[in-house]
Amino acid sequence: MTLAADVRLRLGTLQLDASLRVTSGEIVAVVGPNGAGKTTLLRALAGLVPLAGGRVELEGRTWEDPSRGLRVPPERRPVGVVFQDRLLFPHLSVVDNVAFGLRAWGMRRRAAHRRAMDWLERVGLAGVARARPRALSGGQAQRVALARALAPAPALLLLDEPLASLDVEARRSIRHQLRTHLDAFRGPCLLVTHDPLDAATLAGRLTVLESGRVTQSGTVEEVTRRPRSDWIAELAGVNLYRGWGREGRVEFGAGAALVAPERVDGEVFAVIRPQAVALHRSRPHGTPRNVWSGQVATVDGRGDRMRVRVDGALPIVAEVTPAAVAELDLGRGGPVWVSVKATEVDLYPV
Amino acid sequence: MSRPGRSWGAGLPVTLSTLAVAAGLLLLLPLAGLVLRTPWARLAMLLADPVVGAALRLSLVASLGALALSTVLGVPLAWVLARGDFPGKALLRALCLLPMVLPPVVAGVALLLVFGRRGLVGGPLAELTGLTLPYSPAGVVLAEAFVAMPFLVVTVEAGLRAVDRGFEDAAATLGADRWRTFRWVTVPLVARSLGAGMALSWARALGEFGATITFAGNLPGRTQTMPLAVYLQLDTDPETAYLLSLLLLGVSVAVLVALRGGYRAAAP
Repeated sequence: MTLAADVRLRLGTLQLDASLRVTSGEIVAVVGPNGAGKTTLLRALAGLVPLAGGRVELEGRTWEDPSRGLRVPPERRPVGVVFQDRLLFPHLSVVDNVAFGLRAWGMRRRAAHRRAMDWLERVGLAGVARARPRALSGGQAQRVALARALAPAPALLLLDEPLASLDVEARRSIRHQLRTHLDAFRGPCLLVTHDPLDAATLAGRLTVLESGRVTQSGTVEEVTRRPRSDWIAELAGVNLYRGWGREGRVEFGAGAALVAPERVDGEVFAVIRPQAVALHRSRPHGTPRNVWSGQVATVDGRGDRMRVRVDGALPIVAEVTPAAVAELDLGRGGPVWVSVKATEVDLYPV
Repeated sequence: MSRPGRSWGAGLPVTLSTLAVAAGLLLLLPLAGLVLRTPWARLAMLLADPVVGAALRLSLVASLGALALSTVLGVPLAWVLARGDFPGKALLRALCLLPMVLPPVVAGVALLLVFGRRGLVGGPLAELTGLTLPYSPAGVVLAEAFVAMPFLVVTVEAGLRAVDRGFEDAAATLGADRWRTFRWVTVPLVARSLGAGMALSWARALGEFGATITFAGNLPGRTQTMPLAVYLQLDTDPETAYLLSLLLLGVSVAVLVALRGGYRAAAP
């Protein structure tokens, strides 16, 4: 089963125009800044927000295609949704919450009840089957919400910030459990998160959504190594520049330029890992081909890694040891020289 | 929770407590007067009176009928007003709530104009089916429902607005169509408002006087409800009127308690 979606819609100030494909058994994390349209994308796939254009297909069956006036209502889409605020029905017991979908799809009361109990056992909550949702802890409620979404055996699973409302302790244990259940799920799975750790531990692939558009898609490793937007670069903790390659140099305007390791032409991204940046109080001599001066702006970090932000023609973050910070007395700010080996500049076309 | 060194109520401002006591007296003194002046000895005799029995029965049946009509029609109306999105909704809401502020006699006149023998709807209805509503028990139900339904509509609409629509979305993603979602999720979530609205509109129907006497008349044994009987007796036999009033009071309290228990049981 494959989800093929091309979602185009307008909601308030948000203009969503996102395409994605998720194959069976694949878990894709949708990441992006607040207001990028992540939740709206999930709601559109579930059928809770109508498309203005594009289409949604699951394994060749069209769920929505406005150009043909086609739209399967949410209750007829075999989709399981775990909502950000979970939305367990407060007037129903835990087991009735889990049985809700089975009953709605036409299963008899007793059979639905039995199946719901099985699911509660699977998430380790058979003991609270008779309780009301308000009596549950955040982590328990999250597991009930997951069981409720999975119980009717959906073909597509959508999770909106499944760990966001949990405290650190609960988060750690639920993340592990969630991984197990997601691995067992056969269909495509889409997971919205703003937490890079959740994305990295739960998903195989990332889709980055910014201002309603997919800015990048790929494995976690690919996306963080070669980011294509400032937001991802920030997330991955690398320095990202956008410039113009010409005769072995990359120019960034305002006189800033880098020597490239290879000859590139046209518009390119340049990534420099903070660990590859060296700082000096006096102008360094020797191999590094990229040397420029700047002003120390901030120094922060803890443990054996400190991040130093240097303002200048090419603002950059360097990761250095606390010993280096002390030796160069970076804490007092002032002018520094930045050097980066040409081979440490990773270039890729825009 | 109480704070040490502070007795309950000690922190209330004197002005507020005095006014609250005055309000309590205003509400309770008339009831006390009623209880004190009632000729209890005549209770058994009065209950045996067929006219009184008929009035009591009609009051109960008609007010519960009006309540049923108000609920069956009023809850969907509240839902449309709370969830619908169409031009003129504000105007529609205002018009639907008009009977709450309309003098009941005017409501009765308006009902006569529409459902009367020669009315807009009443005329064709009488011609086609031979059914006439004015001066009939069904007319009593209609008059009471007209006046009482808006109370249910406002209360339930407010309840619906307060419900997180997310629950309905969740139900939809779990495969429940709108009707099931309405029955399994929306209605239980507004159970409290529904109960309050039902109690209010039932009480309004039970006490209804003006619209009923205008539209359905005051025929003993046929359209004479308890409030009409009380009013009629007040001229000729005040003591009976007191007793009837107290009876009405007792019934009100009993049904309110029963309704409350009923919606408590249905609520989460």
